[in-house]
Amino acid sequence: MSTALGSIEQIQERLRDYRYIADRSMAMTIFLAKALSKPILLEGEAGVGKTEVAKVMAQVLDTRLIRLQCYEGLDANHALYEWNYAKQMLRIRLEENTSRPREEIEQTLFSDEFLIKRPLLEAISAAAHEQPPVLLIDEIDRSDEEFEAFLLEVLSDFQITIPEIGTIRAEQHPFVVVTSNRTREINDALKRRCLYLWIPYPSFEREFEIVSTKIPGIGPRLAGQICNFMQKVRSMDFFKRPGVAETLDWATALVLLHREELDPETVEATMGCVFKYYEDVQKMRGDRLTQLVAAC
Amino acid sequence: MIREDEPAPTMESLLANLGPRRGHLAENVILFGSMLRRRGLDVTTGKILDACTSLGHIDLSRKGDFYLALRVNFVSEREQIDVFDEMFRQYWEPFHLGEEASGLEGLSDECGDEDSETPSFDQGDPSLEDWGSPEGEQGEDAETPGYSPEEVLAVKDFSTFTEEEVRAVRRIITRIAPKLATRLSRRYRRDGHGHDIDIRSTTRRSLRYGGDIVQLDWRRRKLKKLKLVLLCDVSGSMDLYSKFLIQFVYGLQQELKNVETFVFSTRLTRVTDFLRRKELRSALDNLARIVLDWSGGTSIGAALSDFNEGPGKSLVDHRTVVILISDGWDRGDPGVLEHEMQVLHRRANKLLWLNPLLGSPNYQPLCKGMQAALPHTDFFLPAHNLQSLIELSQTLEQLAAA
Repeated sequence: MSTALGSIEQIQERLRDYRYIADRSMAMTIFLAKALSKPILLEGEAGVGKTEVAKVMAQVLDTRLIRLQCYEGLDANHALYEWNYAKQMLRIRLEENTSRPREEIEQTLFSDEFLIKRPLLEAISAAAHEQPPVLLIDEIDRSDEEFEAFLLEVLSDFQITIPEIGTIRAEQHPFVVVTSNRTREINDALKRRCLYLWIPYPSFEREFEIVSTKIPGIGPRLAGQICNFMQKVRSMDFFKRPGVAETLDWATALVLLHREELDPETVEATMGCVFKYYEDVQKMRGDRLTQLVAAC
Repeated sequence: MIREDEPAPTMESLLANLGPRRGHLAENVILFGSMLRRRGLDVTTGKILDACTSLGHIDLSRKGDFYLALRVNFVSEREQIDVFDEMFRQYWEPFHLGEEASGLEGLSDECGDEDSETPSFDQGDPSLEDWGSPEGEQGEDAETPGYSPEEVLAVKDFSTFTEEEVRAVRRIITRIAPKLATRLSRRYRRDGHGHDIDIRSTTRRSLRYGGDIVQLDWRRRKLKKLKLVLLCDVSGSMDLYSKFLIQFVYGLQQELKNVETFVFSTRLTRVTDFLRRKELRSALDNLARIVLDWSGGTSIGAALSDFNEGPGKSLVDHRTVVILISDGWDRGDPGVLEHEMQVLHRRANKLLWLNPLLGSPNYQPLCKGMQAALPHTDFFLPAHNLQSLIELSQTLEQLAAA
């Protein structure tokens, strides 16, 4: 089982094989994360590819992606495991008429069959048998400090004690990616545990590469105009600036409409791909729109 | 590969790993780390060790990789990147990275201090000498005939308080603050007198009795605090009130976890950390030093714009209550103020405007600034005396329960 990722260049190449364009800082972060066995903390604007990279890494490493979506109120039960009480109770009823010794019944009741494994436990037990999985902990800022403290424990030891079963320990560490939208500060201890990367909006060249790679049918002229447009839009004052995800949606739409270049009517009609707020769409109209398109 | 069998890397083994030529590289990384720590980055011994190990994995002759390997370890926030870049240039330029590492020998002095002097937020244990316990009422003022001291204090305008009254008010604020901004969350916790049945616990317990439900366990929603953002106008016209309101804000921060505080006059400054760590007197001193324009004129719109473009983008969401404390005297463009208020209002759960001038019975919000802003506030409240703060806390409690 290869756990080595070779060089930084190799990482970039392999990511590109799966159509993810990573710059050197991303590749370096992944490289060191593997070498040091530390989790990665990704912060950045919405739609720049934080979650995406975890998915692609799972493909690159040829392993499962286990995803823990964080939300307010997420606690250990939802993240770790839970016993299937209803099933256990039914089994008790069924066993009432058998003559099996009590210890045997108890052992059955508290076995894998009745254990509902949630993402963190899944990640730890998977790492015992197969290629260690990629564990994506998405939008950690939506959970709270208590959960962070708990997560920190898990990420430090990669072992979990289930009172009825024992201690389950990961033979190898999963590849952990934590993402955050910065709606609050993550606590220091967790940040210390991770390697950190801030993902900004891409440069024109990078975005052009992304668009060309992910949308094979697109002509370079259109791709260039789209990227120009997006670069300009991001420097203007909108309520919610669009991310790379929006660029790709828009480009796909324009290709489907068989456009080879931008024109004001089409742009106005497809603004919904780029802006998701009414005021923003309204702002991009009329003269402003025409001028912007002409400048691309 | 079970990690716990590996011994923690020692300095010697790290240095050995890096090869004879890199003899002083690790020491330099340590010094560099201390330098960063002094500039506020959270650089622990663990991170330094990781950084050294990282350097062992890369091609040291590539300056870009060298930079990245250090940055990925030492920086833990976007805001630190600029500081890191500056320090990196200052420290490593003389080494002429990229050439043979000949410049590295002999340039480091004795190893820098390796103590992990991590700043700790003593949230649970601030020096609250000024914030005595609520039981300290014995030393209170002599009784005034017919009125309790608290009632008198409640309606007296802040700007006319004496030192003793200030102390008394602080005690009251300490009592109010914990009740503020509680909010029901999805989390539950076991409670014998709770409202809802705790199915999980009850079922578990019933296993003991072969599945019969003999006893019910109860649970109640855990109280969770709302997120508060406070924006305090500290310009000249607000002088008398702002020093008092800062104390109120200080009290809030001591009691609650999720409070972020900013002050503004012509510029916006985040003061959450100052108010959190020190005792009140030094907090105010610190504030006075970093907030350069305590008594200048105000441009509320510009300050809000700074906030909305900057920290506000990520701090304010549908769970946040934003409290703006200002008298509305604005020298800036009312159009800007209105726009920014609108933006903020849309993002936040509720937007409250506290105006000390509302204390005067004859006050009408006639100035352009206030008029522009009013349509975008959810609550417009006075903030000139204790009574108004008590009412504020009641408003917040209602909001929290909503």
